[in-house]
Amino acid sequence: MIKKFTLRVIYLGAMRFFLKLIVGVKYINKRVVKEQKQFILVGNHNSHLDAMALMASLNWRQLPNTHPIAAADYFGGTGIKARISKFLINAILIKRSKDEAGEKPLDQMSKALSEGKSLILFPEGSRGEPEKMQEFHKGIGVLLTMHPHIPYIPVYISGLGKVLPKGERLLVPFDAYVTFGEASWVKSKEVASIVQEVHSEIIQLKDNFDKQYKPKKKDHA
Amino acid sequence: MNILDQIGFEQHKEVYSIIGVIIGILILSTVIFYILGKLYPGDQTSELKRRTRSWWIMATIFITATVVHPIISFIAFGLLSFVALRELASISTNMRNEDRGVIIWCYLAIPVQYYLAYIGWFNLFIIFIPVLMFIWIPFILVIRGYTTRISSSMSILPTQLMFTVFSISHLAYLLSLPELPNFNAGGRGLLLYVVFLTEMNDVFQFIWGKLFGRHKIIEKVSPNKTWEGFIGGLISTIFMAYFLRFLTPFTAMESWFVGAIVGFAGFIGDIIVSAVKRDIGIKDTGSAIPGHGGILDRVDSLAITAPVFFYLVYNLHYA
Repeated sequence: MIKKFTLRVIYLGAMRFFLKLIVGVKYINKRVVKEQKQFILVGNHNSHLDAMALMASLNWRQLPNTHPIAAADYFGGTGIKARISKFLINAILIKRSKDEAGEKPLDQMSKALSEGKSLILFPEGSRGEPEKMQEFHKGIGVLLTMHPHIPYIPVYISGLGKVLPKGERLLVPFDAYVTFGEASWVKSKEVASIVQEVHSEIIQLKDNFDKQYKPKKKDHA
Repeated sequence: MNILDQIGFEQHKEVYSIIGVIIGILILSTVIFYILGKLYPGDQTSELKRRTRSWWIMATIFITATVVHPIISFIAFGLLSFVALRELASISTNMRNEDRGVIIWCYLAIPVQYYLAYIGWFNLFIIFIPVLMFIWIPFILVIRGYTTRISSSMSILPTQLMFTVFSISHLAYLLSLPELPNFNAGGRGLLLYVVFLTEMNDVFQFIWGKLFGRHKIIEKVSPNKTWEGFIGGLISTIFMAYFLRFLTPFTAMESWFVGAIVGFAGFIGDIIVSAVKRDIGIKDTGSAIPGHGGILDRVDSLAITAPVFFYLVYNLHYA
């Protein structure tokens, strides 16, 4: 109860205010998320703010039922860090290394989906270089083959890698854009082709975005 | 005590009557642009609609500040500077990654500048950015030690600060000007006067250009600007400056002069931002996606008219 309440207060109030007014996050095509009950948000990953920006786009009903997936070895390092990410970001912490005993990461995510929860996934794994996209891990493909009835929503996040890049502590406000693609359901049963499909949809969003917004040097004819 | 006394209606009759006029004009233009938008859907009418929307916001802030507390105006203008600076810094392709930590200093200058405007410390207000920050930013850049393309950052950052913070803060400083004998409208009247003239100058340049525009004035920068629009706008602004001079301490002669200067300054601001956008290859204002910044397009002319008007009125009547 308290957790739900805190989440709502933080994200619908303070966080939204902070992200929109101070950082300068702008959402494009946000209605897509509001229309779905259960979904997997799949985005590119450049900053710690990515998960928060996506959480802040949800409505009060979706908020407590949506969990960003975070790596336990990074966020669960110390007890306090794990608690904060569980409590404030509503994260599900998974273990990245395969050989460890106990629950497999995919089972954890799949269980959450079976319970009717929504997930926020960054298949690139780590944040990487600012504003550059990396290869996708195949977990997203496996999850979607297990739950083909749950739609995934591709998201392209631009600019947050400049606001708070990997390895920097200082947050500097810059305009950032979060672009949502249309919700879609997987057709194929093959993991590799699903990963490929999701990846290319995010690339598509990126290309459309760049065409519209990205400054490009051009010659004056 | 009735409500009229409480809000000082008698002392500020001019300001309140102009608020009435503004709301009237806003309603009228909203209706006209709505009908125009239905008749001729397209980029240019939607640009006019966006403009009216931002006027409504400005008018609301202005009226709230007039009735509640003047500090609201200072905070609102400070935020305006912040959003404009953030937008300019975000679209600049010439900025280096290492400049992140220096841009923070530019943001931090905003509350200082507006605080100086609020307490009315004139001598520091006019030198804080053009002298102190002009030295401080290159100094910080040098201390950080990345010298590759440092001269470009040294020129870009202070210029952005001048354009978005120094200039717009003059609108706020108008509210801190001392009372003059025989002039009741005060700083609020002056603020209304310059904002109204600047916005109307933009609209009239647009309308005259649409109606009679033949000869391009500066085609390579802004293909929609014509001599006919520029001169028509200028003349309209001079007339408005004359008829609205009850908001100011100006004599009739002075108001003609100020109208001409504001009209010309607004044009300058407009084409400066157009040229910058053209350089970095950003799409024109009519970008289809809602919520796209565009604050710079709103404040481009104000960024030039504000300081020019401020020093005109200051040197004519307050110095």
